[in-house]
Amino acid sequence: MTTVPAVALVGISKRFGAIVANDGVDLVLSRGTVHAVMGENGAGKSTLMSILFGLVSPDSGNIFVDGKPTTFSGPLDAISSGLGMVHQHFRLFESMTVAENVVYGAEPRRNGLVNRKAAHDRVRELSARYGLDVDPGAVVGTLSVGTQQRVEIFKALHRDARILILDEPTAVLTPGEVTSLFAVIRRAADAGTTVVLVTHKINEVLSVSDEVTVLRDGRVTGRFQRADATSAKLVHAMTGREVTPVANSGSGSVGAAVLRVNNLTVVDHHTVRVTDVSVDVRAGEIVGIAGVSGNGQHELVEAILGTRRALSGTIELLGRDIGAASVRDRRALGLAVIPEDRRGEGSAVQLSTAENLTLGHHRTAPVGASRGLRRGWISLRAERARARDLIAEYDVRTSGEQLPVGSLSGGNAQKVVIARELSHNAPLLIAEQPTQGVDVGAIEAIHGRLLDYRATGGAILLVSHEITELLALADRILVMYAGRIFAEFSRSEATTARIGAAMAGAQAETDIPTEASRL
Amino acid sequence: MNVFEWGFVAAVLLAATPILYSSLAGALSSQVGVFNIALEGQMLWGAFAAVAGSFYTGSAWAGVLIAVVTTALFSVTLAVGSARWGADPIVIAIGTNLFALGITGFLMRVLFDVSGTFSPRGLQGLDKMSFLAEIPVLGPVFAGQTALVPLAFVFIVVIGLWLKLTPSGLRLRGVGEHPEAASSLGIKVASYQMWVTIAGGALCGIAGAQLSLGNVTVFTENMTAGRGWIAVAAVMLVMGRPLWLPVACLGFGAAEALGFRLQGIGAPQQLTDAAPYAITIAVLVGMRMWVTARNRRPSLSAQPVPLPSQPESTS
Amino acid sequence: MNIEPVPGGPGTVAPRAPEPLSRRSRASALLTLAVRHPAVVPTGAVVLAVLIGAAIVLAAGLNPISAYSAVLAGALDLENLDYTFSVWALICGMALAAAIPLRMGEFNLGGNGQMVLGGLAAAFIAGQLDLPSILLIPLAVVAAGVVAGAFGAISAPLSTRYGIPIIISTLLLSPVAVAIVSYLLRFQLGEAGSAVAQTERFPDSAHMWALGSLSYSNMGLILIIVLMALFWLVDSRSAVGFELRVIGANRRFASYGGVRVGRLAFGAMAASGAVAGVVGAIIVLSPPYRLVDGALLSPGYTFAGLAAALLAGGRPAFVPLTAALFTILQVGGGGMERSADVPRQLSDVLQGVVIIVLALRTIVDSRRTGRSATS
Repeated sequence: MTTVPAVALVGISKRFGAIVANDGVDLVLSRGTVHAVMGENGAGKSTLMSILFGLVSPDSGNIFVDGKPTTFSGPLDAISSGLGMVHQHFRLFESMTVAENVVYGAEPRRNGLVNRKAAHDRVRELSARYGLDVDPGAVVGTLSVGTQQRVEIFKALHRDARILILDEPTAVLTPGEVTSLFAVIRRAADAGTTVVLVTHKINEVLSVSDEVTVLRDGRVTGRFQRADATSAKLVHAMTGREVTPVANSGSGSVGAAVLRVNNLTVVDHHTVRVTDVSVDVRAGEIVGIAGVSGNGQHELVEAILGTRRALSGTIELLGRDIGAASVRDRRALGLAVIPEDRRGEGSAVQLSTAENLTLGHHRTAPVGASRGLRRGWISLRAERARARDLIAEYDVRTSGEQLPVGSLSGGNAQKVVIARELSHNAPLLIAEQPTQGVDVGAIEAIHGRLLDYRATGGAILLVSHEITELLALADRILVMYAGRIFAEFSRSEATTARIGAAMAGAQAETDIPTEASRL
Repeated sequence: MNVFEWGFVAAVLLAATPILYSSLAGALSSQVGVFNIALEGQMLWGAFAAVAGSFYTGSAWAGVLIAVVTTALFSVTLAVGSARWGADPIVIAIGTNLFALGITGFLMRVLFDVSGTFSPRGLQGLDKMSFLAEIPVLGPVFAGQTALVPLAFVFIVVIGLWLKLTPSGLRLRGVGEHPEAASSLGIKVASYQMWVTIAGGALCGIAGAQLSLGNVTVFTENMTAGRGWIAVAAVMLVMGRPLWLPVACLGFGAAEALGFRLQGIGAPQQLTDAAPYAITIAVLVGMRMWVTARNRRPSLSAQPVPLPSQPESTS
Repeated sequence: MNIEPVPGGPGTVAPRAPEPLSRRSRASALLTLAVRHPAVVPTGAVVLAVLIGAAIVLAAGLNPISAYSAVLAGALDLENLDYTFSVWALICGMALAAAIPLRMGEFNLGGNGQMVLGGLAAAFIAGQLDLPSILLIPLAVVAAGVVAGAFGAISAPLSTRYGIPIIISTLLLSPVAVAIVSYLLRFQLGEAGSAVAQTERFPDSAHMWALGSLSYSNMGLILIIVLMALFWLVDSRSAVGFELRVIGANRRFASYGGVRVGRLAFGAMAASGAVAGVVGAIIVLSPPYRLVDGALLSPGYTFAGLAAALLAGGRPAFVPLTAALFTILQVGGGGMERSADVPRQLSDVLQGVVIIVLALRTIVDSRRTGRSATS
């Protein structure tokens, strides 16, 4: 290996408000290699890739392409510098053919028209070169997810991408498709293309990459050549943060099962999201669901809440089968949910703080009434009073309960969501990423609330990709990977390394994975 | 009443042509993702501008040109408002439809000092293609029509081919289907939306001109009388396949022509008035039921996904 | 705690350190609050529209001041007030029909069809049943509400079960209803031997009760005021009204919170249609006490009402005011034509301009962020 690297990112820093996404990151991509960029959610991978592809400009640091300093003012600059990116969520025109998708925006022409034959030939040529069988005339919407991904790759290659960024490319693929994708990646690299593989899965890194850069908390924590990389080293680099003092002082009395999920399978758009998952949560217990986002946790939560139908399996809340019940009935029976997507699902930003606090409480006292003459009516005075009380109790920083929630900071808006859901005093609380986007002081307060909730006999299903959070709070931790419960740890067994390894798909029965061959 | 006589075919074409032009405008807008319900107002303005233009210049074709240009300008509000400034095209369209209704009546009073109907002596209508009169079939169908009638079909074909064959047509289709994908490939989505909406305005100008200088030679207040809404129905009916527009519009034109005849013999014309809308809603519901039924039939690929296998590779 | 910030995504909302408020920033905060007041936007739109209208009048070589004062005089002259109020009731009613679905973010463009069906139901009851006033009039009004409400409600399942947006289904269904009513009038229910398609004149027992000695405004006005008050009450004080607003603000938030979106949409569309039907009933039970083909639609109450509802942003407290504005334009237009020689169509022009200006208010936001709002 000699010469100038294909791309070098030097000293890249980027902050979003108070959050440091990248802190002096160096990334060197040698020509014709497969370079894995590893890290957990929030490690700064996506930001780094957005900077590399010109979607975000860095606060400081330099980008060198073929040794020449370069600045990207948008993805088009990156494309013309020879970069191509395959996003996790495809950007394809489903009604058009493969060839049309591949050449869109960079069409071969003849007499001012799209040269259809040249476009088809181009697809066939790329198919042949990379050993992929794709029919250029097929309509993209009718193709399997794996084939659609090939179309995405072809789009980049058609524009003569010399550096190909693949963002979590295997998240949507079946194992067979993963194998053939890796073969394509290998061929591309052998043909001189530089491939960047963004992933959190150790076995992918070990099986296809030449070099690895590991990020944690926005910094580079490990750089390996293929020969030196072991799963133990990778896990350590990914998760080896300081373990914070454990807040959970051990469980009190654990009662009867509040939630029983049996053999639940959830399908979305013909893709299986949750496979045969069984979970019990008992009163006075916090059960953690660990996992990198997109491994089925969110769909599991939606199925329990009732905003998504399960394909098979049963869900029992307090001994009653709620599989067919509406969201409203499930909530009335005793369910509260802190959702992952605060702005999209957990609040209405134009509505006032008071109104946001009222949803779900508007048919019960004190704001509404569940029986009598006042049934179906709302007392604005009670709404205001209750809102003021909750704002004070949960320390929401706002200049008035009538201001829209959209005017609050992220942490304070999250407190509004938490106040609303905790004040249900429901037997079961599902907390999904409850401290996402919240500053440190607020995190402690929220954790304290959750522990208090458990202490008073509440059952909590805590979904998080923060290992420290799970270790601090959960009595048991289940790890979801590829839609299944992949590993389960009791409190005493759980360590950062073990959970981190399981989240990355390393087999559960090993104490700490030591050998790549054991994967 | 013989449906198969050539005169009826001519009447169908006459009724279909304004709808064809304006629904083409609506279909193009929907291809770039702009829901355009401003057709009624734009067509009405076009009809007025054509008559006014013909009146002032003494030339019907100059009237058409003026209608095309001014209606394109008229549509700039919708185009720029929705594509550049992110305003709601529905609300803008409700406003411009009211505005067109008012301003045409207002100008008729201010400029010509008449209300209700404007048909001054000597107002030039568009020439009929009477040179075809002697030719069988073509004669009875087209001799009484203006050149704008066959031109509508030329437009459909040309625009259909353009969408299908040219780079800009391909890009245009992508803009409506998946704007993020298009812009990630360097396409200026807002520009496409804006220019296509303005081109739609020009087409509505032709539609209005055909209505006021071709079908008749007069402008009357609110003379579009819902044709713009029938065009909107036609756009929904073809669901993004512009090449089907002639079928939908000829069908709707036949309903109108038939209704006119029914009225002549004192039979219920209301049936044919309602037909375009009733057919459209029935087709939309039927399509949806069919799609749902089709999706329900095959089992979802429900076998569980196996865990990732051991990597076959390298080490 | 760290999250992966996605540009523009929800994650980028960073915790903001509290800054000490300087006097200047406090003043600007107050200003922001004032600018955010819900009355600012409609007021601004009206002011701008009035100026644009004045420019149009000037360009036509006429005097805008005398035009506007003639509009006001024509509508608010003591002698005309009776008539103005009767029109206000109808526009207000149609604004209400548009405002109810607007609360959940939906457009009802089918007011015409709902109104004529209501008129038909009322006409049928009024013409066929021989009952005393005290029974006949409420029965006719209720029948109008039920028939038109059922018709309006069709759009809800079409949207929730068949995925046809409410705006489209109301738009398509409306002309069908109009045609059916027109057909029935001409061929089934119409007065024999009349050149105009219309029912026979209803018996006196079916004449909407007068308000004292007023000749235009009748109990219909009171009925609309009651419905407006009911809307205000339900919107601001009831669980259902609250849920409707939550759907309008964020549909996913509503379903997550347990709101039964489908059922509520059904109820809202039924209520919307019912109000439009009641307006139809009021029209036919007022002079000339017949259902006349086309007479319900020609004054354009539906779109004037829709415009009023849009201008009010669907807010119940504003609807009577914006409806009053459009009523003044409509009624005063005639006066303007007579006394200032400015064509009455200026009213429609102004209605349109108000709505266009209202829609284009996004220009302010897009200028501020400095980029196009669609991407």
